Amino acid sequence: MSSTDAIKPMNDADLNTDATDRQLLQRMAAGDRTALAILYRNYHGRLCRFLSRQTRRPEVIEEVINDCFWIAWQKAGDFRGDSRVSTWIMGIAYRCGLKALRQHGEEPVEDNIPEERMPADDPDEDRELRDWLSKGLERLSHDQRVVVELVYGEGHTLDDVAAIMQCPVGTVKARLFHARVKLRNVLPALAERSLTFKEQAP
Amino acid sequence: MTMLPNYSSQDCPRAWEMMPWVLQASATQEQGEWLTHHLAHCEACRAEFAQQKRLKQAMSLPSHVDVDMEAGLQRLLGRLDAPVEAPQHVHARRSGGWLTRALAAAVLIQAIGIGALGLKVWTPGDSATYRTLSQEPATPATAGAIRVVPDAGMTLADWNALLHSLQLQVVGGPNDVGAYTVAPAASTASQQNTLQQLRAAHGIRLAEPVSDTP
Repeated sequence: MSSTDAIKPMNDADLNTDATDRQLLQRMAAGDRTALAILYRNYHGRLCRFLSRQTRRPEVIEEVINDCFWIAWQKAGDFRGDSRVSTWIMGIAYRCGLKALRQHGEEPVEDNIPEERMPADDPDEDRELRDWLSKGLERLSHDQRVVVELVYGEGHTLDDVAAIMQCPVGTVKARLFHARVKLRNVLPALAERSLTFKEQAP
Repeated sequence: MTMLPNYSSQDCPRAWEMMPWVLQASATQEQGEWLTHHLAHCEACRAEFAQQKRLKQAMSLPSHVDVDMEAGLQRLLGRLDAPVEAPQHVHARRSGGWLTRALAAAVLIQAIGIGALGLKVWTPGDSATYRTLSQEPATPATAGAIRVVPDAGMTLADWNALLHSLQLQVVGGPNDVGAYTVAPAASTASQQNTLQQLRAAHGIRLAEPVSDTP
């Protein structure tokens, strides 16, 4: 599917979210810190998830998120509306993340997530799913991991990802294709085991 | 070695490409129906789609890295009030900028120095004449110059009258032996003729042409 193929336009929920985000940006441009706090809280979860694919260090993740919103605060008045606000913010976070990785060094995706880092309420199935994903993601390049996260984790389109990573759509397609092939070659046994696990569950 | 997808029909590449967009609901309803129809007949794509669903499910799990949102927000708000409002990595840019400016200043100073030196070297008339220590002190090389030794008893009036009549002027001297160097005021007169008249004049003990070479 090319970027020009029939892609369903944004649904009502997406449109409402984007409209709200734009209003928040306008308020931020006028110096409204409450709007900044709302946007920060709205995006914190997804930015944490996105950035945790690149580093496991909480202090680095917070630094990148704060750099991202510091820039968003400064540039809120410059937002031209060419893309969704979420695409704009993810683009800033992506670039801040790259800088942080250069500064702190990229950490490999761990084979298994240490016990102490596992959320206390993580059910067994989620834990297995995380392990399964970690085994797959560790085989991907940094760019491939970012594309997979943006498409499957954040639900961005090819055009969105190209805008976020500031590269041609064809490059994104190629990265996604090769990432999927790698995952397919690495993960089938685990997938079958997981499917079996799920089928046996009540 | 990367193993490419094992397509079982010519529709499989299209189905493969369409899966993520159907999963994230950005494909059209028509595309979704087409994929559902294809999956019903293609076991390989069905397995791939099951894995894609699992991948999406896994990617949707919340981050397992614990980052304190409220503490981070407070630090961000504090940063907005900080006197130097710049991202932390600006320091690196600033140190780079300082180095660049220092190098530019050094180049500028060198350029000014070279320019001043060039100006001094190439300014006409301002260049000092270069000579070795063994050379005679600079003597004006006047055309037709004659070295003349007047008699000690010759009056200044007679000397002046003689020079005036021969259209000569004193250009040097007297030296240690009382010799003057005279040269024609106008370049028209013949040196040989002037020399003869000087030698014939009363009160002149010696008149010799000044040669350029010793």
